[in-house]
Amino acid sequence: MSIELLTILFFVSLILFLALGLPLSFVLGGVSMVFIYATWGPQAFYMVAAQTWGAMNKFTLVAVPLFIFMAMILERSGVANDLYEMMYLWFGPVRGGLAIGTVVICAIFAAMCGISGAAVVSMGTIALPSMLKRNYDKLLAVGCINSGGGWGILIPPSVIMILYALISGESVGKLFAGGVFPGLLLLVMVSTYIAVRCYFQPHLGPALAPEDRGDWGKKLKAFKAVLLPIIIVLMVLGSIIGGVTTPTEAAAMGVLGALISALVYRQLSWRVIEEAALRTLRLTGMIMWILFGAYCFSSAYHGMGAPHLIEHLMTYIPGGPWGTIVFIQIVIFILAMVLDPAGIMMITVPIFLPFVKAHGFDPLWFGILFTINMEIGYMTPPFGFNLFYLKGIVPPSISMGDIYRSVIPFTIVESTGLALVMIFPQIATWLPYKVF
Amino acid sequence: MKILNKTLRLIDWINDRAGRILSLFILVMSGLLLMEVVRRYLLNSPTVWANELSQMLFGAYVVLCGGHILASGGHVNVDILYSRLSRKTQAKLDIITSFLFFMFCVMMVVYGGSLAWESLSTFERSQSAWNPPIYPVKLTIPLGAGLLLLQGLAKLMRDILIAVNKGEDYTAVAPQEKETL
Repeated sequence: MSIELLTILFFVSLILFLALGLPLSFVLGGVSMVFIYATWGPQAFYMVAAQTWGAMNKFTLVAVPLFIFMAMILERSGVANDLYEMMYLWFGPVRGGLAIGTVVICAIFAAMCGISGAAVVSMGTIALPSMLKRNYDKLLAVGCINSGGGWGILIPPSVIMILYALISGESVGKLFAGGVFPGLLLLVMVSTYIAVRCYFQPHLGPALAPEDRGDWGKKLKAFKAVLLPIIIVLMVLGSIIGGVTTPTEAAAMGVLGALISALVYRQLSWRVIEEAALRTLRLTGMIMWILFGAYCFSSAYHGMGAPHLIEHLMTYIPGGPWGTIVFIQIVIFILAMVLDPAGIMMITVPIFLPFVKAHGFDPLWFGILFTINMEIGYMTPPFGFNLFYLKGIVPPSISMGDIYRSVIPFTIVESTGLALVMIFPQIATWLPYKVF
Repeated sequence: MKILNKTLRLIDWINDRAGRILSLFILVMSGLLLMEVVRRYLLNSPTVWANELSQMLFGAYVVLCGGHILASGGHVNVDILYSRLSRKTQAKLDIITSFLFFMFCVMMVVYGGSLAWESLSTFERSQSAWNPPIYPVKLTIPLGAGLLLLQGLAKLMRDILIAVNKGEDYTAVAPQEKETL
């Protein structure tokens, strides 16, 4: 059988079995086994087993469960309550202020933990009822949580970036540094959007009534809520970007910080730890088994010479190097509608990265684009994880249709942000090359 | 039938226990790494073993949990079409697609096993400064794949029972909510 036909058959069977609902890791593993057997014979399986062992032996990957555990603890720690209380006092008097405060908290959460679920769940249970009670438009209230909730993977630390570093060979510290300004850019853009919209349409996000506003004494007292988060951010990010510790050790310090926060807010109990630990195991294991499957996939893909066909096909994309970059972003965006970010990354990066490099683009910058794209994928239907997290916690008055509609303006704002980082790569690359 | 049901529940129980025990490794790994940071920067006496030991625990942690995650429905799939099907149709589809699962699993057991066997037969060590034996960690590859295989067989059995309309009594623990990064 010709290489071309084999490659097409390979991808068609991957898509077919995915659509039939078999878990991603087993589709990748199983389909690749069949094709490796057909092209190389069984002796190649030994290599796959050896690669599994290789993945178990990457010190950077040890950071993954640590960052996840940290987020699971922070989600239950009560830090979000105090942060919201503070934002309420400081931003409440402004039109749309509670929504802006909510996305600011999302950004703070994103700087503390490396996954996105924690911010969505915390803000959905704390900020959403509060905003609805103060007559905020439900679409605006849901939309801002949906949008800010995805920043966990863009603003460092980020588990997705750790995986990207593993696949691309870039440094974790550089990628983390690269996420800082794009993250801030999105924060500023989304906040501006909310502020402008609510200024002209005050009924969407009315300012707090004067009797609900706190005095300066209260405001200053509430400010202590940011102390713990700032300490945690400095401890974790400071030691990575400052080059003091490895990301893995920094993650362990983050776990300590999260446990201390939970202790300070009197939320720490064996039950909380046990539950967080179990959820951490399940999420980490899920990702790692996809990785094991992805190693099989990558062996099969390269083993049967599939890159040739892909290379050939890629030359048909119009628009030169930039056409290729835009095309890749569209493919990733479409995949994000049906697949988990970790899985998308492990399938597409090995395929696309060679083209990115061949066209002279910076793989670091590409990683940031990828992450922003995944982040938008979190909030767009039908498979956006934020949507499902939100559906689980919103009051019955908000339907899935409302949630879907609420993301439209925010998706436009964030896509503009993505385009800006594409056009001005320095937004992403300036800091990492400055620091490292 | 009663024996079958008991066997299925035993497999569930094994993987449930395994997961609960494994999940606590995260505390040990965090502790080891924290201790290392403290010893290096505050006490100025770093160890040669803390990072490597946490690495070894991580290896066992991620490979042994496969069966537990299958039991709790945590392996992510594309359910855009799948979730609209009836439980019975899902079961039939799962029976058909399970051959890929078994290929992957059996390969991991057999070739992971030969990797581990080679390591065990030479009592392989890691060749680092600390130089611990690493065959125990390599042995977790066939063991973890074996646990996954066991849970996969239990799932196949249940799917068959559901497909032939006897499934009600044999359903597994309720699947958990899926999680993501």
